[in-house]
Amino acid sequence: MTQPALLRVENLRLAYRTGRGVVRAVDGVDFDLRRGEALVLLGESGCGKSSLAKALLRLLPRNVQAHEGRVWLDDTDILALPEERFRRDVQWLRISMVMQAAMNALNPVVRVGEQVAEPLMVHRGWSRAKAMERAAEVFALVGVSTDFLGRYPFELSGGMRQRVVLAMSLVTEPDLVILDEPTSALDVLTQAGIMNVLKRIKRELNTSFILITHDVSTSSEIADRVALMYAGQIVELADARHFFTEPAHPYSQMLMASVPRLHQPDPPQHIPGQPPDLLDPPAGCRYAPRCPKRFGRCDEMPDSITVGERHHVRCWLHGAGP
Amino acid sequence: MSDAPEMAQSVRSRGLWRDGWRLLVFSGKRLIALFLTVLVGVYLTIFIANMGGQVDELRLVQIRGVVSEAVRADPAFQDMTAQERNELIERQISLEVERLNLDQPFILRSFDYLYRAMMLDLGRAEQMHSDAGSRQVYDIIVERLPATLLLFGTANLLVFLVSVWAALHLSRRYGSLLDRSVVALAPTSAAPAWFYGMFLILLFAFVLPALPSGGMVTAPPPENRLDYLASVLRHITLPLVAMFISSIFISIYSWRTFFLIHSSEDYVEMARAKGLPDHLIRRRYILRPTLSPIVTSFLLMLIGLWGGAIILEQIFNWPGLGTLIFQAIGHRDTPVIIGTVVIFAYLLAVTVFLLDILYGILDPRVRIEGGR
Repeated sequence: MTQPALLRVENLRLAYRTGRGVVRAVDGVDFDLRRGEALVLLGESGCGKSSLAKALLRLLPRNVQAHEGRVWLDDTDILALPEERFRRDVQWLRISMVMQAAMNALNPVVRVGEQVAEPLMVHRGWSRAKAMERAAEVFALVGVSTDFLGRYPFELSGGMRQRVVLAMSLVTEPDLVILDEPTSALDVLTQAGIMNVLKRIKRELNTSFILITHDVSTSSEIADRVALMYAGQIVELADARHFFTEPAHPYSQMLMASVPRLHQPDPPQHIPGQPPDLLDPPAGCRYAPRCPKRFGRCDEMPDSITVGERHHVRCWLHGAGP
Repeated sequence: MSDAPEMAQSVRSRGLWRDGWRLLVFSGKRLIALFLTVLVGVYLTIFIANMGGQVDELRLVQIRGVVSEAVRADPAFQDMTAQERNELIERQISLEVERLNLDQPFILRSFDYLYRAMMLDLGRAEQMHSDAGSRQVYDIIVERLPATLLLFGTANLLVFLVSVWAALHLSRRYGSLLDRSVVALAPTSAAPAWFYGMFLILLFAFVLPALPSGGMVTAPPPENRLDYLASVLRHITLPLVAMFISSIFISIYSWRTFFLIHSSEDYVEMARAKGLPDHLIRRRYILRPTLSPIVTSFLLMLIGLWGGAIILEQIFNWPGLGTLIFQAIGHRDTPVIIGTVVIFAYLLAVTVFLLDILYGILDPRVRIEGGR
């Protein structure tokens, strides 16, 4: 199975200028993703998950200090593309996104059908009728009645709006859909509904997903690959079955131990301490101050160490000592 | 999904029908509510202006004085006895009271006033008359109204369009040199339009005599329509520029801040993620959802400026309502003052009604919730 990667991210960095200094929100991230794969990007709040998504789609705020690295989509470095070409050729046609606040991601004064059809009219130059026809198809795909095409966002429930935003992200049949906490504002039943839609789409359309979440249990349903982020870095990147059964990084191990499970006598464990301040992160391993297994070498920044097939860990425990 | 196109089409037309009907119901309800508001407002004005009937006592005294004076001064009644003369005076007073319906209770007459005011029958002026010679308050006001509407309508429309357009662009270039200069210039609006007007008159009417210092057309007005228009254009330039200077920078500044706030909405971010071109984001995702507050503030500004126009019209000798009120107050011509208030009430109601309809068209939330 040596299929070429759809997306290859190399040493991606994103830093913001703030009043108190430079925040390195994404600090040297590498990963790759194959066609039809779902990568779950796990991490605590503020670890740089959303910044990573924004760095991929170039949705940058004004106070960006650095935005560098390489993002290969097939054979194009999309980070090197000129602004206008990126907007025309990549955004939404190749990579689309479901934003974190998807509930408010719909324009309140435009009918939802038109908002879903809009990218087709803008990017592909389709006629309104043809685009609306396609919008009706994706509405059916995500399980929203086509009666709702002519409704306004405020006439829809939260779960319905979430599905409409999902329909919007699928309407152009992009290669990659980035979902930033798509279910965090929804109740458990609606969450399950959305996750089922995602699983079906992944099976039927062979779309790749990057699912950003902090919810380990929900994400395990759909994940092929898991990337765990800590303080702006990916500390472990592995196939889902390896990550969930035998996590290699101490942080991954403690995170898995913190998830409550059925049929298991041990109570869930919590991780002591706080994530580091990204204004002034520790010089060595970022996790070292909270790590129960730290030793002398943790004062150095660990490399990304390969411990198995497509399995990388940033931890000296797995490295050959010098 | 073979029937998707027809489905999408029928959904759309059904949506339009539904929206149209709701808009109609909504406007009807608003119209009735506004009519009642004007009715109450005008009635209160009448009640207050007549001091709840107290003014009638004054008028009775005034009538008695005028009639007695007239009878005493008339040589035809010189040889009457004092009693005969007093009877004559009483007869004439009662005739006058009957003519003015002063023998009826005030409450009854107040409704009569109300009816006439609502029908725009504003009565006769006590001293003033229109340029055409009419003593009717309605004629006097209607003669002045177009001049005011022309000047203030044009000025506001100009300031509004320019500032919204400029603000939309500045909000996308937040922090640029242009942006900062506009912010720095905003305090120029602390001075009112007439202040700039005086300097403009000094500069362009006297130092460099290029434009007329006041009035609306040359006297006598040109016969030819085109010449008339050209003359009005020359006369309107200075007051227009004065109003423009005094409000443009603060207007751009406040709209720019308004757009900046709305540029950080989630759906604007989403539109950017969708890779929509910048002009589309500006138009459909920033301007369109914020159109209701924009239109509101525009129309309210329009109403506000009619009242504040007195000094500017005086400075430029502009024959509008501001000048009229100024003169009416000087002459203590009560019917003209009351008539102007009634006209303002109507203009206000019409503006608010327009606003409601526009709200309904612009914002589906208002239309659909309101029509339910």
